[in-house]
Amino acid sequence: MSRVVEVPASFDDRSFEQFAHSFSAGPLTDRMLFDARGAQWASPFALVAMLTAAQAVREAGGPVPGFTVPVAEDVRRYWARTGFFGHLAELAELHGKVPKIKPDTHSDVLLEVTPVRASEDVHAVVGKIQEGAARILHGELGLEAKATMGFAMALSEACQNIVEHAGTGGWVSVHAYSFRKRLGRRVVVIAVGDSGVGFRRSLEATQSRRFGDRWGDGAALEAAVIQNVSRFRDPGRGQGIAGIKRYLSRWQGKLSIRSGTARIVIVPPWDDDAPMTEHLAPFPGAQVQIVIPAQEGASG
Amino acid sequence: MTQTIRVERLLRESVQTPYCDLVTRSTGRAVRTSIQQALVAGGASLAMLDFSEVGLVDFSCADEIIAKLLLDPPGETYLVLQGLREEQLEAIEHVLEHHDIAVLVCDSPAGAARPVGRVSPDLRTAFFTLQAEGPTTADGLALQTGWTLSRTTEVLETMARLRLIRADSGSYAVPQPAA
Repeated sequence: MSRVVEVPASFDDRSFEQFAHSFSAGPLTDRMLFDARGAQWASPFALVAMLTAAQAVREAGGPVPGFTVPVAEDVRRYWARTGFFGHLAELAELHGKVPKIKPDTHSDVLLEVTPVRASEDVHAVVGKIQEGAARILHGELGLEAKATMGFAMALSEACQNIVEHAGTGGWVSVHAYSFRKRLGRRVVVIAVGDSGVGFRRSLEATQSRRFGDRWGDGAALEAAVIQNVSRFRDPGRGQGIAGIKRYLSRWQGKLSIRSGTARIVIVPPWDDDAPMTEHLAPFPGAQVQIVIPAQEGASG
Repeated sequence: MTQTIRVERLLRESVQTPYCDLVTRSTGRAVRTSIQQALVAGGASLAMLDFSEVGLVDFSCADEIIAKLLLDPPGETYLVLQGLREEQLEAIEHVLEHHDIAVLVCDSPAGAARPVGRVSPDLRTAFFTLQAEGPTTADGLALQTGWTLSRTTEVLETMARLRLIRADSGSYAVPQPAA
């Protein structure tokens, strides 16, 4: 019998905790069935998280998980348009009708779900995103034209965390949508996730002694995100996240990173998220989300 | 002798990519190695690293190329960056400040160089005085700026260590492209 992992009806970085709780209720080697029948909406963070979960199961040597696709046709079509089902089919057995739609990057999907395994993938992601990013950031969100370059830089650095630290491949996706409940404005969201070693294990050898009893997922995130430390002794390391924070501070953007059982957030003035949350349900690897809001008064 | 190195060309030669962006550490390492080889082969006293055809420059790649070239300078060559757009320069400045170093940047092909990065007001004053008045000694610069000799010497030595100026037998000068 399969263990059912519930996919939240409205799946974003907040409802992700329900998903993580359900996913971590047993070992990764359980026979699992991801139940997305009731799904009504998923953010890029959620799509990347579902792929990451399926990848973690495969990497743990568990049986191929099942995945029941959403009942709502518009949801199935949107997920197909993001390229999600194409990648998921390589990791899970899909149950239900999947629309045959090519990924579309000329709409709100600025970057379809894209695997990131090596430096070449980061080049491709950065190369592909720039035209669409300029259209949305400058055209709709009212950011200065030069913000596009910083956006691509932030995307590049977030993806490089996978290549440099995860020890396995990961995924990235970028969408634009209206953030009605929390902000009442349009946003562009970058989601990057992997099922790799996570921040704690990546930094353990060089940082755990410094933190002593406090060492854990939360302390590792604090070291990387607040203190800009890296597992490498090279003094030039650790600038990627620092660069992302610098870019976000200029455009009132939000950065959240969840790894293991902790989540850290660089909270912009428009949000009331908790800066640090610990003792969450365990989830493999690291999940990064970057949110760039429309500037106040922008037409988007 | 002045050597001009087109960074975008080295990027295409070093990394199999259809894009002209300087992103990722591995790309940075490959491009830095190519630049080092070109500098050794060229043997010039001054090298202009031309970024005019380059797209995006991210922090990691800027660190691998610019910071590491400056921290471990190849031979006696002085480096000047040119053809940088505002956002590219911003990423490079971020990296330079992280390492507490500086580099010379030319904003236009015919323009004069300026120091960018961790540059104190004293260092800036001394640099532009040398650039305007020409080569001089520590005594000469102390007279021009009205500073004490020890303050002047300290600033000049810092600039020489950062390879923003040449120091030769007690005389200091801003590196100039050959006419």
